This record gives sequence, C-alpha cells and structure tokens, in this order.
Amino acid sequence: MSVVDIRRPDLMFPDVADKVHALPISERGKAPSKTGDDKRSFVQLVLPHLGDAHSLARWITGDRNAAEEVVQEASSRAFRAIRTAADASPRAWLLTIVRDCAYTWLQKNQENPFTRVDLHAVEDKQPGRASACNSSDATIIARTEAKHLEAAIFALPAPFRETLVLRDMLGLSYCEIAEITGGSVGIVMSRLADARDRVIRTIGRKLS
Amino acid sequence: MTDALYRDKSILVHAYLDGELDSANTLAFEEQMSSDPELAAECERIKAYQDLVRKHFPRKEAPAGLRARIDAQVGAPRPAVQHSWRALAASIAVTAVLASGATSFILSPEPTDKARDAIVAAHIRSLMAPNPIDIASSDRHTVKPWFNGKIPDAPRVVDLAQASFPLVGGRLDVVAHTAVPTLVYRHAKHLISLTAVPAPGRSDSGTASQSTGGYNILNWTNDGITYWAVSDIQSTDLSTFARLFRVTQADR
Repeated sequence: MSVVDIRRPDLMFPDVADKVHALPISERGKAPSKTGDDKRSFVQLVLPHLGDAHSLARWITGDRNAAEEVVQEASSRAFRAIRTAADASPRAWLLTIVRDCAYTWLQKNQENPFTRVDLHAVEDKQPGRASACNSSDATIIARTEAKHLEAAIFALPAPFRETLVLRDMLGLSYCEIAEITGGSVGIVMSRLADARDRVIRTIGRKLS
Repeated sequence: MTDALYRDKSILVHAYLDGELDSANTLAFEEQMSSDPELAAECERIKAYQDLVRKHFPRKEAPAGLRARIDAQVGAPRPAVQHSWRALAASIAVTAVLASGATSFILSPEPTDKARDAIVAAHIRSLMAPNPIDIASSDRHTVKPWFNGKIPDAPRVVDLAQASFPLVGGRLDVVAHTAVPTLVYRHAKHLISLTAVPAPGRSDSGTASQSTGGYNILNWTNDGITYWAVSDIQSTDLSTFARLFRVTQADR
C-alpha cells in the first residue's frame, strides 16, 4: 500500500501532472493564456490613446506620414513592454514612448535644426510679457487662421513645441509633461510660458 | 516692476489658466488680477490663444488605416464593423462596467440609495480633506478641460456666479469603481457638490429631493446623465441652485 503525499498532487493525479510539468516553473499557477492578457491590456491601455499619439508624433516630426510610421513603431514597442505600462496614466506612458520614437525618427531622417538648438541660448533670452512687445488683444488673437497658428507653433524650437502640444492640444498636467519629457515641473512651466508668449507674438505680428 | 517679477507673475497666469494652482493660490491670484488690469489683459490674451488652439486643433482619433495596421500588428481582435474610437472606448467602458457587477446600479433604471450614499460620502470626505477640490478655479473654461483626458466625457459646466453660486472648482469622485466628475460650487460659506453620473438610456426626470445626516440631496436626470447635488445649505436654496443649473446654457 502506497502512502499518498498530499504535497505532491502530481503523484495523486498523474493526468494533471503531465500538464503541470509541461509549463516552465515560472508559469505554473498563472493564467494559461498570457498573450491573451497582453492583448487585452494593449487594447485597454494603448488603443484609446492612438489619436493623441499620432498628434504628438505629427507635431514633433512635422509630417503626417512620418507620424504614422512613428506611432506604429511606438505601439509595437508598447506592446512588447505592455507589462511595464503605468496603470496611473497609460496615456503618459504611451506618449513617452511615442516621443522617443519621434526624435529617433528625426535623427535618422533629417537634419532638423530645431532639435539641435542650443537650449541655454534660447532660454536665457527670457522674453518679458507678450504685452511688452506686442499689445494684440484677445479679440484679435481669436481671429487667427489655422494655418498661421500652425506655422507659429512649428516655428518653435522642439522642446518648447512639445511642451505646448502636450499641454494645449492633449491636455496633460504639468506633472505628466515633466515625466514624459524628463524634466522638472519648473522647466515645464517656464517652457510653456515661453512657448505661448512666442506663439502669441508671432500671430500678433502676422495680424498687425 | 522688475523683469523678474513680471516673469513670475506671467508664469502664474499660465498655471492659473491650466488649473495647476491650489485653491489658496487661485484665490490670491484672482484677487491680484482684479487690481491689475494689465495682468487681467495678459490672462485674456492667453485664454484667447487657448480657445484658438482648441478650435483649430481639437483632439482627433488616429487615421483609420494606422489603427488597422496596429490591430494587425498585435493581432488584436478586430471588430467586424469599423467602430469609431469613441465607440470602442465606450464599449470597453461598458464591458468593464458590466463585468464588475458592482456598478450595476449605475445602469439600473432608478437612481439608488447606494449611489446616493457613495456621493454623499464623497462630499463629506471632500469637506474633511485639506482641499475639497482637485482643480481650483472659478472659470468654467479651466474646469471643463481639466476633466478631458481623465474621464471619457467632461461634464456640463455652467457659470452661476451672478446668481451667487460661484464655481469653485472640480474633482473626480469614485462611484462604484467608476470615476465621475464632480463640480464644486459655493453658496455663502457652504459648498455644493454636483456629481454627474452617466446613466445611459435613462429618460429625463424631474428633481427628486431627500435628506440624510443633515445633508440635502437633489437628483435629476438629463440627457443620459444623473446629476446629484449635495450640500448642507437650505433645501430651498439647493432647489434654486438645481433649477438654475438646469436652465442655464453651458456655452463652450
């Protein structure tokens, strides 16, 4: 008569034992379909933000087709790393990857003067209030056409442009933007103020 | 005024309009602005610019071709019909709601005691917290966009300051595992929490009133959303508030 060892269910139930041992140790006891879970996470965490991803990529690369290429690359990276996705803000997590891919694309595909701009030289200028240079009032600003606004935004150096796009078009918080761009909230605040001042002045000049 | 001071103030205008100031700083800044016309004009300019950006470059869905390629790339289950993003997001949300079970009362035909209790608890909790609001601003154009990106649909925000119900700000509450927007209004020294709970398919209803634990509660349904107003103000004042909120147009 054999003694049944209840700590070894595989000996008690040889049929099950086969199946259990077919899995690597790390996988035992987990849900059988891991890739199914990954796909589900991807659908829930990444897919809802593809529009924002495309928008950020377009504003960084300045090119609609390049933006699609960038988002496709970013989403395949996101899929591979889906288990590291930040539950708190999957959108910020995805946009961090998109931003990275977009700058990689720029480096590979064109000499972009904006990406190589000397940040200190730009930031040291510290323009005063927009009013000090141009007193275009709110009603005049409101009449600006889309193409002029777009041109003014594209004329911004990359670090300012990305900050402005993340805040004004995609509505991320200062904290999220700091996380995405790898800076501090203070840097986000000063870049955003500068970027908006520049855009307001540029469209003001256009109209006057 | 020195350049440095100009600059600090200028940065504050941006933080104010972006809803990144806490309530104390918001009030201090609004006070400062009321006595500094140049600062107020600067604020107007930036606001005009923000409205312009929102008008010309609203948030968009990804191009359909891109989405199809990404679906194919990861082998994500492709819906038979080409859904819009919003529909897809909504279907995920509905699936989540149905799957959780606990949320069923949100979809139940009548607003329930459970929902009411969760909303009153959120109101009381907010009064105990150092800050009753996540976003402090009396400007509805600041409060509404703050909700975008946090929840699928930003709530209707109306300005009732003229009727002595100034907007103070907004926050996210959680009712049955779902984040819902709450607007906070002030009346005299009392706060009113107005929570908007999605109620798809529920027909419009008149205002029902009740009270619990010293709080007056009103709820009504409009356009597939059940609104809950909670406050310790007189029930007649709360009714006035609800009536004004219902009849005032939310301009964008």
